[in-house]
Amino acid sequence: MNDVVQWAALAPLLALVGSLINAFFGRSLKEPVPGILASLAVAGGFVLAVLAFIGLQGSDHGVQVTLWRYLTAGTLHLDAGFMIDRLSVTMMLIITGVGLLIHIYSIGYMHGDDGNSRYFAELNLFVAAMLVLVMADSFPLMFIGWEGVGVCSYLLIGFWYRDRANPDAGRKAFIVNRVGDVGFLLAMFLTFKAFGTLNIGAVNAAAPAMLYGSATLTLIGLLYLLGAAGKSAQLPLQVWLPDAMAGPTPVSALIHAATMVTAGVYLIARIGAVYAMAPAAASTVAWVGALTAFVAAFAAFAQTDIKKILAYSTISQVGYMIAAVGAGAYWVGIFHVLTHAFFKALLFLTAGSVIHAMNGEQDIRKMGGLGRKMKITGVTALIGTLAISGVPFLAGFFSKDAILSGTLTSGLLAGNGGDVVYILLLITAAMTAAYMFRWYYGIFAGASRVDKHAAEHLHESPPVMTWPLGILALGSIVVGYLGLPEFAFPNLIQRWLEPATAKVDFNTVSVSTDWLLVGLSILMVALGLGVGWWVYHVRKGAPVASLKESNLAGASRGALGFDALYRILFVASGEGVAGGIATLDREVVDRGLTGTGAAVGLLGRLATALQSGFTRAYAFAMLLGVVTLVVVAALTGVLK
Amino acid sequence: MIGFVILALVMLLGGVGVVTFRQPVHAALSLVATLLALAVTYVTLQAHFLAAIQVIVYAGAIMVLFLFVIMLLNVQGQEPAPHLRWMRPAAYAGALVVAAGIATIAFIDRRPLPGADQVAALQGGSAEQVGTLLFSHYVLAFQLVGVLLLTGIVGAVSLAQRGNPAAPAEPRGEAAPERELTHG
Amino acid sequence: MVPTPYYIAVSALLMTIGSVGVLTRRSAIMVFLSVELMLNAANLAIVAFARQWSASGVEPALSGQAAVFIILAIAAAEVAVGLGILVAIFRNRVSTDVDELSEVRL
Repeated sequence: MNDVVQWAALAPLLALVGSLINAFFGRSLKEPVPGILASLAVAGGFVLAVLAFIGLQGSDHGVQVTLWRYLTAGTLHLDAGFMIDRLSVTMMLIITGVGLLIHIYSIGYMHGDDGNSRYFAELNLFVAAMLVLVMADSFPLMFIGWEGVGVCSYLLIGFWYRDRANPDAGRKAFIVNRVGDVGFLLAMFLTFKAFGTLNIGAVNAAAPAMLYGSATLTLIGLLYLLGAAGKSAQLPLQVWLPDAMAGPTPVSALIHAATMVTAGVYLIARIGAVYAMAPAAASTVAWVGALTAFVAAFAAFAQTDIKKILAYSTISQVGYMIAAVGAGAYWVGIFHVLTHAFFKALLFLTAGSVIHAMNGEQDIRKMGGLGRKMKITGVTALIGTLAISGVPFLAGFFSKDAILSGTLTSGLLAGNGGDVVYILLLITAAMTAAYMFRWYYGIFAGASRVDKHAAEHLHESPPVMTWPLGILALGSIVVGYLGLPEFAFPNLIQRWLEPATAKVDFNTVSVSTDWLLVGLSILMVALGLGVGWWVYHVRKGAPVASLKESNLAGASRGALGFDALYRILFVASGEGVAGGIATLDREVVDRGLTGTGAAVGLLGRLATALQSGFTRAYAFAMLLGVVTLVVVAALTGVLK
Repeated sequence: MIGFVILALVMLLGGVGVVTFRQPVHAALSLVATLLALAVTYVTLQAHFLAAIQVIVYAGAIMVLFLFVIMLLNVQGQEPAPHLRWMRPAAYAGALVVAAGIATIAFIDRRPLPGADQVAALQGGSAEQVGTLLFSHYVLAFQLVGVLLLTGIVGAVSLAQRGNPAAPAEPRGEAAPERELTHG
Repeated sequence: MVPTPYYIAVSALLMTIGSVGVLTRRSAIMVFLSVELMLNAANLAIVAFARQWSASGVEPALSGQAAVFIILAIAAAEVAVGLGILVAIFRNRVSTDVDELSEVRL
């Protein structure tokens, strides 16, 4: 079955070809050909991923596909090669599967936009880069994919570039990402120094033999965390994701919900062997994740933009994933990636549907009661909301629960505040349910605050957009069953992924404790939903008016002021330096140059005075010459 | 030595007079005084023939010619131009520096005077001595000077001819008003 | 005998006085007079050196005096022609101001 698995290496190539065709010839293709072409490329990738999935059923080793050697420098040999094992195949399925649905949805969403072919070219390029990222068997190749998704993210955020705010948001995303990339690069250098190789498999194999808890391993772990924080929008580099909502909604769904932001999670899971040997770094990872989850959930309460709420929700959920992989529960983190991909993409696509119907309106204060007019969108949005809240029997419940128990029982986190992490995540679960309820209720239920004029245009989206919604909703319900809690039920995904990831010790707890934890999380969900129900339905509070204008509300709306802080720290100081240099350039350099010109002119005018036309002046000049000669002769010749 | 000092004084005072007298006739006469003193100096330098030639040619012919022209043209003394007023002090300064420099060199680089017998060999620079030299060693230069004098005569005569009103002077006369330089 | 440097000093002074006159005087004839003064100063220097080097053996004795003789002749020719030019200029422009004679054409 190896051959079939090897074919999966072609998946990025398919997406790349699709991107190139759309880039060069897309303009001359009539709609919806570019979209169909792009979707076919991704569909091809999906088929290959499925084949590889089937092929890997028997073995728990991966298949190494080496393409070519692209760099030799001393002892450093860099090959372009793919490692197709269970972990990467799982990610490939998510990328191509959810990606395919979003491509199809985009055909409807981007209908009529004159950048249609450009959009699909960039989206395909993104898929290609993301596939390279997850399949790479060496850090530099992964970094190429890493940068590639960053570029595509920038391009797609600023897709409607004519509005200045959009490319600005794209730039912000790219620059913040860059900060994280510095961490990634430094970690690569350190890895090479410590391990002598940049091949991920080799590093993972060599890690258990290294010193447990050594400074080098911890530093490597922390630096990779920095890279992951940038790409996955974790503290303190989370500021770019809310602004990234400036891009088209399907882009937000694919890149900033399902795939790119999970690259950091994938990275940490991939090199789990290193983190398993560095508990300090792993604990830091978990803490970063938990704090981010909490802060982002807090910020989501006061947002009024339909997509910004979902953006903060994404930051928060990715925080959960990061916390999971920090705790050493690698399959759990990937499991949550899977479930989150479904329901977050679903939520974003329903938001897109709403925006489409409301003709571009994104303020939830102007919505309400849309579920009555847009049945399919409303129902699927409800399913998504319940799934993300962690309501039992839907996908989010299983994965979130696994994360909670993982952080509590982790051997890596023990002694480093594992229980505090657990409590943070627990409280955040309640908050998640509450703010997502606010989101759903404020848009689809309750009294209608819709503007009269807009209300007339309200209609359900075309089938090309609603079919993906349905499939994703189904997935949001079903996918969770892959990861049933193993103390009572067969856990398929754990068995599937665990051989591909590192081994970490977890405290075993009694079955009754497990059931207790499950009950506790259900309680939290009920609490959150209940509060939401009471505030918004019973007391009929409007989604924004119900918040008194308190400091708390202000802090929430400003997402705890990270943006403002960064503006003062970096932007203002940078502008100051640039202004100073500009002044320097203008006053010193330019003045110097023009002054030189003026000086030359002055010299010329002085020289003109010599040519006065008066013979006596010339005679005097001759006398001066004689004077000079005499003086020189006197000084040099005679006075010896 | 005393003789030298007296002669030097006369020469220098005469020179200063040439340069400073406002009236041209006074300046010319001052130059005559200088030339005569110079002739006497030549005598002290054992150059009797030259002294005689100096008096006859320079003081006697050239200066007379100058005086003729001065009186003919009725030259008036004038103030120096305002925009060149810096010239006078500058010229004096430059002149002083040059004179001082040359004098310094002369005094530092002095050689011993020739002996009395050598001076006697000069035979006082008599006409015979100089003439012999001119007609033997420097005869070419002598002849060329003759040619030069001929050229000078021709030039002077032709210049004198130009002033003839019957000659084509009208175009220049009519062109003259265009030039802004003509004024009294 | 008076040593040579003294004669040279006097000659230098006369020369420079003459140059001052050249630069300072406004009328062309006065300039000419100053030029004659300078010539004579040079003559004095040459004659003094003729006496100094009379026994050097490089040149015949009294070569300097022969040179001065020739210089005198040249000066005479020069004065004649120069004054002729001045007269011609005066006929055309009535003014012999050197500052105004910036064009050499007649």
